Amino acid sequence: MMRLRAFFLLPAWAFTLLLFLAPMGIIVVYSLQTKGVYGGVGEPWTFENYVRLFDPLYGVILLRSFAMAGAATFGCLVLAFPLALYISRSGTRKTLLLNLVMLPFWTSFLVRTYAWMFLLRDTGLINSMLFGMGLINEPLPLLYNDGAVVVGLIYGYLPFAVLPLYSNLERLDKGLLEAAADLGAKPWEAMLHVVLPLTAPGMRAAGVLVFIPSLGAYLTPDLLGGGKSMMIGNLVQNQFTSARDWPFGSALSLGLMAVVMLLLWALLRRDGEEML
Amino acid sequence: MRRRVFAASLIGLGCGRSRQPKLNVFNWSAYVAPETVPNFEREFGVKVRYSIYESNEEMLARVFSGNSGWDVVFPTHYIVPPMREQGLLVALDPAQLPNRKHLDPAFVRPGLTDYAVPYMWNATGILFNKKLQPTPESWADLWRPALRGKITMLDDPAEVLAAALRKLGLSLNSRNPDELRAAQREALRQKPLLRAYLNSEVRDQVVAGDVMAAQLWSTTAQQAIDAAPHLGFVYPREGFPVNLDCAVILRESPRQEMAHAWINYLLRPEVSARVADSMRTATANLAARPLLGAGTRDNGTLYPSAEVMARAEWFETMTPEVQRLRDRLWTEIKSA
Repeated sequence: MMRLRAFFLLPAWAFTLLLFLAPMGIIVVYSLQTKGVYGGVGEPWTFENYVRLFDPLYGVILLRSFAMAGAATFGCLVLAFPLALYISRSGTRKTLLLNLVMLPFWTSFLVRTYAWMFLLRDTGLINSMLFGMGLINEPLPLLYNDGAVVVGLIYGYLPFAVLPLYSNLERLDKGLLEAAADLGAKPWEAMLHVVLPLTAPGMRAAGVLVFIPSLGAYLTPDLLGGGKSMMIGNLVQNQFTSARDWPFGSALSLGLMAVVMLLLWALLRRDGEEML
Repeated sequence: MRRRVFAASLIGLGCGRSRQPKLNVFNWSAYVAPETVPNFEREFGVKVRYSIYESNEEMLARVFSGNSGWDVVFPTHYIVPPMREQGLLVALDPAQLPNRKHLDPAFVRPGLTDYAVPYMWNATGILFNKKLQPTPESWADLWRPALRGKITMLDDPAEVLAAALRKLGLSLNSRNPDELRAAQREALRQKPLLRAYLNSEVRDQVVAGDVMAAQLWSTTAQQAIDAAPHLGFVYPREGFPVNLDCAVILRESPRQEMAHAWINYLLRPEVSARVADSMRTATANLAARPLLGAGTRDNGTLYPSAEVMARAEWFETMTPEVQRLRDRLWTEIKSA
């Protein structure tokens, strides 16, 4: 029996080892080496790349990334909660609505981000419409700022927030709401004191699913931020491109991963208590 | 049905492997005419696997391993010395490259051309909207407060520092930390005026009128000017950088002879002229120049006059220490 189980697990293990752990191992090795003249890595072995992580310059970039990812997470939760609630109470149309939430995944993220550039730019759709309606004389600077980056992140990761919240709300015992009403709670009171606390695990799951990719985002800040506000993902990318410093780029990404894993560990520990 | 197609393609693959010689070419995007590769294949009875990249780093990352499978790649001139030092290149055999005699002597540099054949080149200047009066003439014009929000610089540390250094009257290859810090201060002073740091993607925004002046490469700028005649391009008064893309043969290549034949083919004046004409880029092949269409040949953006070229400065390879300082200064600029 045990042997059969091991046999069925084999593909998953092979996949993980080969495609996840092996590249990770390469990154760890790179992070301990010295950069080659024009990319690549070489001797001597060193911890210097990790020491450099504590440079205040990179701390500033990490803090900025946290702020942007935090804003995106907040925006996603605020938008996703009512949407998930609506879908969970839509009866037979649920499947349709859920599919619509996932519809954007049918096209490439890059293409969708470019579409946002066409919406936001000076001669773009939004500015042209406002201009046409006579509401503005000068185009609003919508593109190439932190606001544009946060909007792009919210747009990109909103489905990741809707789905866990939906599954949480879906499983919510309707009897509890009836009980709250019977005990004299107005609908908004029931929402505040019953629904919200019970969806906390869904909120946390949604928050994690949005926050982590936002923290490492590099495409959105690059395209919608116009390269003016650097996030940690751009810093890592730069090490592998223009700076040609693979060891430091590797150390940076491992450092970021360590931060993310600490956060996850702290969160999962709480959820673990509730779920177990 | 599908299975039969699959089997047929397998047979095709098998034939290709056993009989027809192959050549693997890795080049920048939009850097050959549509018929350049098919004509070579027909004449030399060879199958060319042609792939494209968008940056030197992308290409380097692939060929560093030494078993990338490519035969010929096209690094920019300042990438050639480090590639040579890493032992990635072979010295070219002049006997197999008789067409090298067609090259513009201005691009034939000892040390470079022993390992690399100049192919196409471009330089950096300012693409601007002619509504802008007075029209820009110098890098300093990209620091004009009146243009706030209407200017872009390239998203490239070497280029941004080059403009700032030349604006200060310094060499764009400066290795002096004080000079580089002074250039960084200029860039930091400029940043609030900038709309963004953008590379080729700025083209459409200058055409649309969102951007009034942009630091840009001559060939990309020319594509914008072709699309919108209300645009102009200028090589700044203070001096500007030149980039020369070269063909090199990798040491790992088991097809050295065919690789030489390909480069020699690209050096034919009529082939080179067709590439330059169709891609609107500037060839380093002097004999190709008279064969170009008049619109390309007499174009001051693609082929600046000798008087303008006197202000040009070639990018040089940086030492690792200077490179690291420059990268740090750039990270500080971008995160400010």
